[in-house]
Amino acid sequence: MTPTTYRRLELGALTSTAILLVAIIPWLHANGTISNFTIGVWGKYLCYALLAISVDLLWGYTGLLSLGQALFFTLGGYMHGMYLMRMIGDLGQYKKPLPDFLVFLGWERLPAFWEPFASFPFALSMVFLLPGIIAYIFGFLAFRSRIKGVYFSILTQALTYAASIMFFRNNLLLGGNNGFTDFKFILGYNLAAPATSRALFIATAMAVLLAYVFCRWLSQTKFGLVQQAIRDGENRVLFSGYATAHFKLFVFVVAALIAAVGGALYTPQVGIINPGEMQADKSLEAVVWVAVGGRGTLLGPIIGAITINALKSWATRAYPDLWLILLGGLFIIVVLFLPGGIVSLPTRLRSAWQIFRAAPPPSPASSPKPPLT
Amino acid sequence: MMNNLTRWVRLALRLTLLHGSIALAAETPRQLIVRATLAADAATQRAALAELMGQADTAIAPLLEAWRTDALFIFTTPEGIKIPVLISGEKTAAGTATASRLTDGLPLTDAQGNPLVLTVADLAPVEHNASLRRAMKAVLDLADLAATEPEKRIKAISTIGLTQDVEKLPAFRARLKIETDGAVNRALREAIALAQLKNPLPAAQLAALNELQALRSLASTDFLKRALKEFEEAKDPTLAAAARAALAAVDEHRASVDFFGTLFRGLSLGSILLVAALGLAITFGLMRVINMAHGEMIAVGAYTTYLVQAMFGSGLTIPCFGFSLPIFGLNLTGPAYQAYFIAALPCSFLAAALVGIALERSVIRFLYRRPLESLLATWGVSLVMQQGLRLMFGANNVQVASPTYLSGNWLINDVILGWNRVFVIGFAIVIVFGMGLVLTKTSLGLLIRASMQNPTMAACMGVRTPRVNMLTFGLGSGLAGLAGAFLSQIGNVGPSLGQGYIIDSFMVVVVGGVGSIGGTILSAFGIGGIDQVLQQYLPYVAPGLNWVPGIGGFLQNLAQDAAVFGKILVLAGIILFLQWKPAGLFPTRSRSLED
Amino acid sequence: MSHPLLSVEDVSKSYDGFKAITNLTFYLNAGELRTVIGPNGAGKSTFFDLITGRAKPDCGKIEFGDTAASTQDLTSLNEFEINRLGIGRKFQTPSVYSDHTVWENLLLSLKGPRGVFASLFHRLTSTDHDRLHEILATVRLESKHDWKAGLLAHGEKQWLEIGMLLAQDPKVLLVDEPAAGMTDDETDRTGDLLLSLAGKHSLIVIEHDMAFVKQIARHGQVTVLHQGSVLCEGKFEEVQANPKVREVYLGRGKHGSR
Repeated sequence: MTPTTYRRLELGALTSTAILLVAIIPWLHANGTISNFTIGVWGKYLCYALLAISVDLLWGYTGLLSLGQALFFTLGGYMHGMYLMRMIGDLGQYKKPLPDFLVFLGWERLPAFWEPFASFPFALSMVFLLPGIIAYIFGFLAFRSRIKGVYFSILTQALTYAASIMFFRNNLLLGGNNGFTDFKFILGYNLAAPATSRALFIATAMAVLLAYVFCRWLSQTKFGLVQQAIRDGENRVLFSGYATAHFKLFVFVVAALIAAVGGALYTPQVGIINPGEMQADKSLEAVVWVAVGGRGTLLGPIIGAITINALKSWATRAYPDLWLILLGGLFIIVVLFLPGGIVSLPTRLRSAWQIFRAAPPPSPASSPKPPLT
Repeated sequence: MMNNLTRWVRLALRLTLLHGSIALAAETPRQLIVRATLAADAATQRAALAELMGQADTAIAPLLEAWRTDALFIFTTPEGIKIPVLISGEKTAAGTATASRLTDGLPLTDAQGNPLVLTVADLAPVEHNASLRRAMKAVLDLADLAATEPEKRIKAISTIGLTQDVEKLPAFRARLKIETDGAVNRALREAIALAQLKNPLPAAQLAALNELQALRSLASTDFLKRALKEFEEAKDPTLAAAARAALAAVDEHRASVDFFGTLFRGLSLGSILLVAALGLAITFGLMRVINMAHGEMIAVGAYTTYLVQAMFGSGLTIPCFGFSLPIFGLNLTGPAYQAYFIAALPCSFLAAALVGIALERSVIRFLYRRPLESLLATWGVSLVMQQGLRLMFGANNVQVASPTYLSGNWLINDVILGWNRVFVIGFAIVIVFGMGLVLTKTSLGLLIRASMQNPTMAACMGVRTPRVNMLTFGLGSGLAGLAGAFLSQIGNVGPSLGQGYIIDSFMVVVVGGVGSIGGTILSAFGIGGIDQVLQQYLPYVAPGLNWVPGIGGFLQNLAQDAAVFGKILVLAGIILFLQWKPAGLFPTRSRSLED
Repeated sequence: MSHPLLSVEDVSKSYDGFKAITNLTFYLNAGELRTVIGPNGAGKSTFFDLITGRAKPDCGKIEFGDTAASTQDLTSLNEFEINRLGIGRKFQTPSVYSDHTVWENLLLSLKGPRGVFASLFHRLTSTDHDRLHEILATVRLESKHDWKAGLLAHGEKQWLEIGMLLAQDPKVLLVDEPAAGMTDDETDRTGDLLLSLAGKHSLIVIEHDMAFVKQIARHGQVTVLHQGSVLCEGKFEEVQANPKVREVYLGRGKHGSR
């Protein structure tokens, strides 16, 4: 396959997927073929796909295994959630003009930092700003002192852990362990209306497509080359005159923003956001999606996120006791035996077939990558 | 011969003197109660009851309780002798019951020795009125004053002391004269002084204030504050000054108690962290394997302790994967049962070590030199193990009772030291030394160190590195199991027990410098100490946070949750610390380009 | 004497008590090709580490600059800052980006802006293109330009890394054992290449292979390191004749032939 035909094929597949997600599925939903529930579930999967893309951008392409992506995802969700909470107005259980949990905590007036969240543009900018700033500060400190490899993973996990124990407290005035729920309206539209679900689904699908196209573009620039060089030999990159810390910081912030967008779209579609979403386990789960789908590829994380979550939806209903064992076992198997994930299956099967037929081994350019650490 | 006799007499005399109060009061408590029930007027009754004050006889409480609840009756014999009795058996349908004599607690019998059956309705209940009931309560309150266990005495004295009841003073003073236990003595003096604050005589009040100052009694703070206010209102400069001085002494003492308490808690938290992290220091530090299932190894140790406890006790049934699995118990009691914890230690170590070895053989050995992959695979293992424990032992926490020698507190100068925490400090010291000895003095230790530093070279020298790896991982996991045995004495045992410690353990190892056991020790105590200091003193700082522009109120609000905020500050501190020393306290260096 | 391009003065470095470099003083003039030899553990690689910022000296001065006015203290700079000043290094063990193609390896090393945003919107000019092909030709890897670097033979990786060094177009080239793993013919060519670079560039070459040293040290000076300090400096023949050198290095029969 020449590069041109490959590019044409990819463009075709991308366009048809785009048409499917943005036009056909919504159309089927509008005429009732796809239920409201289904489109909601698929919307959630696509939000998780964004989270998976952010993990892959860091882990697959830059070699930074961040266990903090769930934090950025949830922060995005909370920032949007604050707007949605304000939009409930006085329709809450207590019929007061402030969120129920604040009434419950004995607040008479809205705390000052809640005030501006009645504005959608403000909330939207906070969806980007808060995760972005936190990622910037943390990344700056971590990369400046050259924390990498597992140390980076452990520290990001600790960051997430610290944030989650904070969000679990009522004193933070963000709903404690119940988080936000019972949303009513978004931009004046009723969240319960099928048309709103459809619009949210289309928005999510477009976000995923945009993230894909962005990562595709990024991987082809010289930046992408440096990024992957950092993954394979960071010190060498330093000695080539690149300030690797700046590159990593850039990727870290971009990945945080992608995750945050995922979270922001997650909140209205799932209807609840709480600190359970930002526990360290959630980040690791996202890593599983990427590993199963295929790390270091663009399609892998999306496929992985959707497959595993669909599997989870089914298994938690059919075998609730065994789901965690299934997930853990799957992960062990993928790490041990299928480092390339689902995406690598066709190549693997083909080479297995070729060996079976005693055909010449594959050309060097397409041989499997050595294990990355 | 003669000499011997004098000695015996002297000893007997001493014994009598020791039990002076009993020897002087010719009547036993039962006799006193009998006298009270038979007395004609309330004043005599009260006088008889007053003599019961401070006596330790176990018969007193139930008898007075029976009196209060109308279960004491006067039985008049055909001869006209009045005998106070306690209805002892259940009343029959006909309203008859057997009874016991108050005088000696023996069943009431007729001349032939057969139990008498009485018709309750025919008996005259022993009367009581409000003032008598008060007198009885006073006796009951003070009953524990003479209890044999000093802890019970102290508890009773402190409780009554807080009521500042002047009427209890005589009993306290009487007890003070004969009390030999230092701590009880102190409690008595404190209670007396507190009651004396109510004394209208200024001289007595002054003496009480001086006494409280000398005692540096923490319990007296509120009383002293109230008294100070009264004295200031009464314009009594001498007493006010004395009260102030007493208050200052108490506050100073409190500060030092807080300080030493914090120090102790920091030390014990540090030990817990150290015990939890030591295994990790081996698997992560020496082998560079990121074992995310380390927490579950801790849980395995804790559950093993639970099982051993059940086997020493009455056994139990576990919902093992849907099949109820009975575990038979040895039904031991007393010290033999209490020894379960000693047996649980090696069992926990072995159980976790075996699980660790199985894990190493099945998963980890494929992932040496690939730390990120080992992190991910072991996280999968941790999920499987957590769920496995849940299916085996149920999702709820299980109860592990502390053996007697690990429960209770050790009180030094008002600083409370829990025995379990004292023990964990000692335990941490023991296993650090033990591990140090294993690593430096045994041939296994030599092999371990050689294989960890340069596996290829070690293999070339004929070391069976796979075996050494397996044993090292087993050692690390076994240490986690030991940690689990101890954590079962401190917190809840549940399937997700390990999750609470895994991040902290990793932090300890990272801060200490990966590969450095000494660094691990230092960082465990550093992190533990700082955490406890923050928890203790953050609430004092919280109001000051209002200063921070914009988010001051918000921060203040957060700082109220000292435990959580302290933890967050510790984590932030760790990140900043790594700016200064990226490779931890004691870095190990390498010359290869990518490491 | 003109202003030295690189000066290392009284530098010491120890690792956990082991003294890798002791009071080392060393000057490199512009356009010079200096060969550094010394037995194992003499501190040769640490010497490069100190210059390139991989290790920081415990004491001493390392300065770099064409003129006294433009001289900069290297000890306070990062690896990438030192590289950007124009000091390139080839490592002892070939360090190429094994997951990138040969072409990409060279592209990454090509002289040009190194910033985040510059690389995001970087476009290859035709000059760059020509330059890359020129280097490919020099290191004889044209036919393998789309191979993953990790699949090259050891000698080819050495060549690729030399190519990467050329692409950077640095003022000073630090070359650590370039001939290791090469055939005699390739070694010869490497020597010629290094000699042709001298003049325009300044070079420090660490080498064990005495035949190779003899080849490249024809015009330049040889510095002998021993136990972290300079044992002696001079022409190849002078050094070879030096009894001290013979004693510590050449004199040990088994090393003499290498």
